[in-house]
Amino acid sequence: MSYAVLIDTTKCIGCRSCQVACKQWNKLPAEQTFIEGRPTGFQNPVSLSAKTLTMVTYNEVEDPNAPGGLRWVFAKRQCMHCNEPACASACPVTALHKTKDGPVIYDPKKCMGCRYCVWACPFGVPTADWDSLAPKIHKCTMCFERMTSNTELKELNGKPLSEEEKMVFAESQLKPACVKACTTGALKFGNRDALLAEGWERIKSSPGKYVPHIYGEKEAGGTSVLYLSSVPFEKLGFRTDLGERAYPYYSKIALEVVSPAAMGIGGLLAAVYLLKRRKSEVSGAESQKKE
Amino acid sequence: MQYEIAKKDLITRNAAILLALMAGGAFAFFARFGLGLGETTNLSNNYPWGLWIVFDLVWIALAGGAFVTAGIVYIFMNEDFHPLARPAVWMGFLSYSFVVVTLLADLGLPWHFWQLAVQRPEHSAMYEVSWCIALYVTVLGLEFAPTIFERFGWDRLKDLWRKWSPLYTVLALGLFVFLMSHKIWMALLALIVFGLIAFLTKDSVKHAGVPLILIIAAVTFSTMHQSSLGSLFLLMPDKLSHLWWSPIISLLFFLSAVASGIALVMLMDLLVSYFFDRPYNWERLAGMGKVLLGALAVYYSLRILDVIIRGELLLAFSSSKGPLFLIEIIAGGVVPVILLSVPKLRNNHSLLTLSIILSVGGVIFNRVNVVLLGMNLPGTMPGGNVGTYYPSIVEWAIVVSLVSALFFFFSLGAKLLPILPKVEESH
Repeated sequence: MSYAVLIDTTKCIGCRSCQVACKQWNKLPAEQTFIEGRPTGFQNPVSLSAKTLTMVTYNEVEDPNAPGGLRWVFAKRQCMHCNEPACASACPVTALHKTKDGPVIYDPKKCMGCRYCVWACPFGVPTADWDSLAPKIHKCTMCFERMTSNTELKELNGKPLSEEEKMVFAESQLKPACVKACTTGALKFGNRDALLAEGWERIKSSPGKYVPHIYGEKEAGGTSVLYLSSVPFEKLGFRTDLGERAYPYYSKIALEVVSPAAMGIGGLLAAVYLLKRRKSEVSGAESQKKE
Repeated sequence: MQYEIAKKDLITRNAAILLALMAGGAFAFFARFGLGLGETTNLSNNYPWGLWIVFDLVWIALAGGAFVTAGIVYIFMNEDFHPLARPAVWMGFLSYSFVVVTLLADLGLPWHFWQLAVQRPEHSAMYEVSWCIALYVTVLGLEFAPTIFERFGWDRLKDLWRKWSPLYTVLALGLFVFLMSHKIWMALLALIVFGLIAFLTKDSVKHAGVPLILIIAAVTFSTMHQSSLGSLFLLMPDKLSHLWWSPIISLLFFLSAVASGIALVMLMDLLVSYFFDRPYNWERLAGMGKVLLGALAVYYSLRILDVIIRGELLLAFSSSKGPLFLIEIIAGGVVPVILLSVPKLRNNHSLLTLSIILSVGGVIFNRVNVVLLGMNLPGTMPGGNVGTYYPSIVEWAIVVSLVSALFFFFSLGAKLLPILPKVEESH
């Protein structure tokens, strides 16, 4: 069982409840922002940061059917929770790691602050809090702590809860804060395989509404955040040049050969040395003979 | 091989200048910890790595001079390099130590460095490099130790060193293999392999004055971390221009470190002659030039072939990064190869000096390109204009002070210990 979030951008109205809920749940401070104007409209802030782990991008796209020939398409952006994350494979102290449940999480107690994860992520997600004297890394964790904390609500306003009410609470507790706050059902939390199937079902059942592509199904080896869109993904500022291979592919090979290579090189060097010495001894003995 | 203590005043005018620059760096170091990375550097989420990482990569490539010299002298038994064995190891020991100092400044949470000892990441090049360098510095220390023992006549310590340093080295190699493979049987195999090597070469102390297993460990550790520094960039095929990114970037990093290491040792020879008023040994340098030619030829042919085979050569002429690539290859590779391959040019002192400087410069430029100039950065999500990065004054001050510290401590060592080769009176 691996969790994922399906984001249907056709249902997003750009209200940014998710952005606010994320700040509240993660107790993140406000940041000084500005409205860029065209082409990003009311998009605010400009990019993710240590204080903003998710944000809605505003994308003006051409649409001949829309009044004025233009319309907005909104996309909630955050960590993609890759199946094989570059950030986690980069980390020298396993401070970042992919859980079996799907989320890629961070442990500040292990982090040395080398920022290799920031460099490595193909999506530009991890950020450091540069203002701090102890700059940690910040990124969306898919509210992993909500998933794993077993807060059981036994009573509400002094009245005990029925079994059904307890289940409703537990279910709402399980969801990431952003999904819980979404007003239009653009965000859906669940099993990755089930959400993928549902995504394709939505595409098939409404011909022409979506581009026939689920972003995150295969990108960079697949991610635990999946997107549906009515316009090609590059128009929403998504990277479409990432390929389908998981990013750690090459470094995995390179690092797996380190141990055998070390022994091989050691052996080779010793062999060269012994041969060279033997040769010099033989030639030394020969020249002695000649004399 | 005979070495001598340089007869010069401890504090000269040059040394005073270096000390002043070092003081500036110390000040910058305190500022960085007092005010934080954001306040004192121009690093950002778009440019999480900057001058300090460039500097580390450059310096480690050049400090490759230590392992290359050790390998050439003790394993391949080339006498041209023998006089430079000690200065090269001293230079390497200082270089690696100061790289660690830069890393302390660069790490956001350096006081968590001990996590490297308790965590077991599976495929992290950064982890490999950290452990490899830490172990290599101890090997460099052991390589250098007898110079100190000889100077002060500490014969008992030298006996201990002769007896126990091979055992330590074998254990260090075993530990390294265990950490990288996570497998006990691999570690045992490594202990057997390196133990056997140490045993088979144990009379090398008599012949060469050093247990050969130390030299083998130095070359092995260096090969591994020099190449793994390239592996760091295997995770960035989307960012680093494919004129530099390659599945074999690790091998290219190693080969370029060999070439730049040789060139740096030659440059060191020139600088030592200049600053210590010693005679230049052009004959020796021309002999070393032949070895440098071989190393450059191997590296640059593979480098160019790699770009051609991957079908990316067109980028050299069509992309904005193309000129950087062409400068790197032509000025750093083609020109010195031509200068060194023609005996008449190689024996010309200024042209030999030029080819040494170009060889060093080419590899420096390669590292600058890989870390910064050759990168197409997408920026923090959702991406956009990443702006330009210029290192801040604090970043520069720390780099300048550490280079000054290298020069200062190198010459201090040469004035206190028998590091420089004995000048023959006939000259």
